[in-house]
Amino acid sequence: MKSIPKLIRRFVGIMLLSIILLVILNVAFYAIAFVRNTPEFSPWDMAEKTAAALQSTDKGFLLPEDIAAKLKEQNAWAVLIDNDTKQVVWQTDNLPANIPMRYTLSDIAKLTRGYVDGYPAFTGEAPNGLLVLGYPRNSFWKHTRASWDYDFIANLPKNTLMLLAVNIALIFLIYAVANSKLLRSIEPIINGIQDLSRGGPVCLKEKGVLSELAENINKTSDILQKQTWELRKKETARANWIAGVSHDVRTPLAMVMGYAGQLEGSRNLSEDQRKKAAAIVKQSKRMKDLINDLNLASKLEYDMQPLTLKQENAISIVRQVVVDFMNMDIDDRYPIEWKTADSIPACYITVDRELLKRAISNLIQNSINHNEKGCGIYVSVEADNNNCRICIEDSGIGASDEQIDRLNNTPHYMVCDTNTTEQRHGLGLLIVKQIIDGHGGKVFIDHSEYGGFKVVLVIPK
Amino acid sequence: MSDDYLLNKRILLVDDEQELLDMVLSILIEDGFQNVKTAKSVKEAIEEAEKFCPELAILDVMLPDGNGFELMEQLRKVSGDYPVLFLTACGEDNDKFKGFRLGADDYMIKPFLPKELLFRVMAILRRSYKDEDPLVQLQDSQIDFSCAEVIKNDEHIPLTAKEYDLLSALYRNAGRIVTIDALCEAAWGNNPFGYENSLMAHIRRIREKIELNPSQPVSLVTVKGLGYKLIVKGN
Repeated sequence: MKSIPKLIRRFVGIMLLSIILLVILNVAFYAIAFVRNTPEFSPWDMAEKTAAALQSTDKGFLLPEDIAAKLKEQNAWAVLIDNDTKQVVWQTDNLPANIPMRYTLSDIAKLTRGYVDGYPAFTGEAPNGLLVLGYPRNSFWKHTRASWDYDFIANLPKNTLMLLAVNIALIFLIYAVANSKLLRSIEPIINGIQDLSRGGPVCLKEKGVLSELAENINKTSDILQKQTWELRKKETARANWIAGVSHDVRTPLAMVMGYAGQLEGSRNLSEDQRKKAAAIVKQSKRMKDLINDLNLASKLEYDMQPLTLKQENAISIVRQVVVDFMNMDIDDRYPIEWKTADSIPACYITVDRELLKRAISNLIQNSINHNEKGCGIYVSVEADNNNCRICIEDSGIGASDEQIDRLNNTPHYMVCDTNTTEQRHGLGLLIVKQIIDGHGGKVFIDHSEYGGFKVVLVIPK
Repeated sequence: MSDDYLLNKRILLVDDEQELLDMVLSILIEDGFQNVKTAKSVKEAIEEAEKFCPELAILDVMLPDGNGFELMEQLRKVSGDYPVLFLTACGEDNDKFKGFRLGADDYMIKPFLPKELLFRVMAILRRSYKDEDPLVQLQDSQIDFSCAEVIKNDEHIPLTAKEYDLLSALYRNAGRIVTIDALCEAAWGNNPFGYENSLMAHIRRIREKIELNPSQPVSLVTVKGLGYKLIVKGN
């Protein structure tokens, strides 16, 4: 089945896209939150700045007004510890009471990393001493034991990428495991639906996630098969009925035709009587053609006439039909002209020889039947790379644009599913269309350049 | 050439309908056939055939006690190999092909015109019993099929094998057009494509033998693009 890889590709694509999108969104969100919550300056910078600004004068240490104001604003306090004595030699006014005034080396190490009595402390190097800046409790969180393996940090980009890859693989695996069962149960269903559309019988196993669907498809198939069979039965019955009737009519008609034919040629009868016999012969011939046509048309319509397809030279078939007509005593009123160019000796197509002969003779017979006063009939075969075109034209009365349009575009009454009141025409053209359809070809009806009717049969090579 | 000798041939006519038998009988007799016997069933037909030794059988396919195909085989067993023409109401191509496959000489579907029946009967008889009157009369010469030669101005001109094949195909359909394809098939067999030029050459040589003026043929005439026609005197 073609659609499953497509389905997987599509799903994994959507998953990946959404994960990447989520990561980007999260990163953006944290970045914004981080920027928003960062103070205008780092407390370490403030400590350095304060230490640098502290001036040692005769009257002791002096902090410039602006820095002092800033510290006050931030509620921070500061002390200066002397390098030699480890004692506080200067302090701000707001120093909380519990802050010790003497420090040992370990005190200093501890406060640098962490807090003084719960106040986060930051240090700056002043001349001869260490400035300690204390911020209010809970205003900063200090990472007191931060340290990472060097390689870990160095390999961080590589590791991140690997992690991502593993994640993608994991997602795929989870998807495959979760869906394989579903996909497995979808496959026969899709196959079933495809069979259904081809008209074949379908029988799916009714279990698994989609058992209900399978059951419904089976039911649909049963209904369709039953309907097709019923229809086929009806069509067969109808075709058999027509075949039976036409068979039974043949023998009585043979008697009518035989005796009338004898009378027509009898020298004992008067001219007038012979004419009457000739009329009977002519009409019984029409009936014979009608029976043959009706039988063949119904068989072709209900697919009961199997095609015996063979490679044949279309030119030789058409030539045979034309010669058969010329050998039949049709009178001089219907001269047939062979218009095929000598340059194409053969045009091979895969056809049922007898049926194609029937189609062509129907067309020639049509020209004769519709032109009581006589007409020229022109037959030609042309070939191009893909098709063979057989053209039968006449110089007779032809048909109006409207009639030609109707012949080209509306179904024949025999295969038309609506009631029609239009004047009924014979089955000749219907059979031609059915035969050519059966060969995958097309029939075109048009005005002829010779003045009458023109039919072109296009049959694929 | 006269086909009169063919009118003496013994013909056996089998059909289960008396009226149809009467009609065909009257058609044949009116045309001059003198030895026609009829039968209405397989049994009758075999009895008749043993006594009568027919030279042509005209059979219906559906008979009350069997079918015509079987009858044909039995008839040929009891009274020798002679041509069979089927005359039937079964219009199916398959039946027709079955008949030909079993060795029928022709197959006619009812209804038919008397003229058509007579033409086919004559064609079969002429084909089967041609050597009784081997000389075919043409405008300027005669063809002797038994010796494969043409007699023109008292001169005997032999025919080659291909010329013989072509002339017999044309003669079997004397007075009718035979297509180029059918002639090629008669001379070169089943796959006759590509022999058109050879055919023209052979036709030219035949004309030199049978015509007084080969460039203005009167017996073997061309029907442009379609085929050739042999015109036999008195036909």
